[in-house]
Amino acid sequence: MEVQLEEAITPPNNASEIFEKEFMPHLDAMYNFALKLTNDQDDANDLVQDTCLKAYRFAGSFEPGTYAKAWLFRILKNNFINDYRKKSRGPTKVEFEWFEQSFAGDEDAEPAFQADLKAESVNEMMGDEITSAIQSLPVDFRMIIILCDLEEFSYEEMGKILHIPVGTVRSRLHRARAVLKEKLSEYAKKRGYHSDTLADGVELI
Amino acid sequence: MKTNCEHHKDCLKLIQKILDREATPEEEATFLLSKDQCLPCQEGYRLEASLKKAIKEQCHQKCPDSLLEQIKAKLFLFFILISILIPLLC
Repeated sequence: MEVQLEEAITPPNNASEIFEKEFMPHLDAMYNFALKLTNDQDDANDLVQDTCLKAYRFAGSFEPGTYAKAWLFRILKNNFINDYRKKSRGPTKVEFEWFEQSFAGDEDAEPAFQADLKAESVNEMMGDEITSAIQSLPVDFRMIIILCDLEEFSYEEMGKILHIPVGTVRSRLHRARAVLKEKLSEYAKKRGYHSDTLADGVELI
Repeated sequence: MKTNCEHHKDCLKLIQKILDREATPEEEATFLLSKDQCLPCQEGYRLEASLKKAIKEQCHQKCPDSLLEQIKAKLFLFFILISILIPLLC
């Protein structure tokens, strides 16, 4: 019993060393991910602190040589789901309708729409427009886009972080991008960015 | 040059797979060959690449120094608590 208690709450002797060497380099990425998930700076601070404490405490179960960033992101995502998701600022009702449209049917179904968006419009956009569009997505879509496009995890790593099969990673990513492009297309139209359509007769999808 | 792509849904999935570095070399080579002859695939590739690049370059925020200090303080406190509690409990 005593041994179990000690094992349950005691970090290994080299926890500080593991933390400095393996975990600290990923602090910016963790903060950024937490901020995108919670949409709130205070919650992001708390989430990162909780994740760091847990990572420190369980540093003994981290296998040196494996990908620390994926290990940390898995802890962070689980913390978020367990403790923060309910109070996270979710999408508004209107935004939720986008989610429903794009998630109509099963995971493998095609997105229900295809945005009319040009590369030139995206190139003209400022960072806050891209960030706002991502922040307006439902959290499962936000999560997968950040993991893939910002943090550059492989499909397999994302599957492990999110506890979903690789096929689901692929289809969710495809849908998330379809919704994001639709959002950006709205921004582009509102702000009068490059809006030429493809040559006549081109069927987008 | 084709102005209508009859497999555009599949092409779009493949474009994303290529940009995510998840496609096989064969898939990539086949797509790049056909892309030269297909306007919607060229446009699609440019759009997906631009979007991925924009997210990578514009959506990053650095961890504030204050948070780093808070984390260090919390870990130190945790370390002290463990050092005191474990001998008492065991």
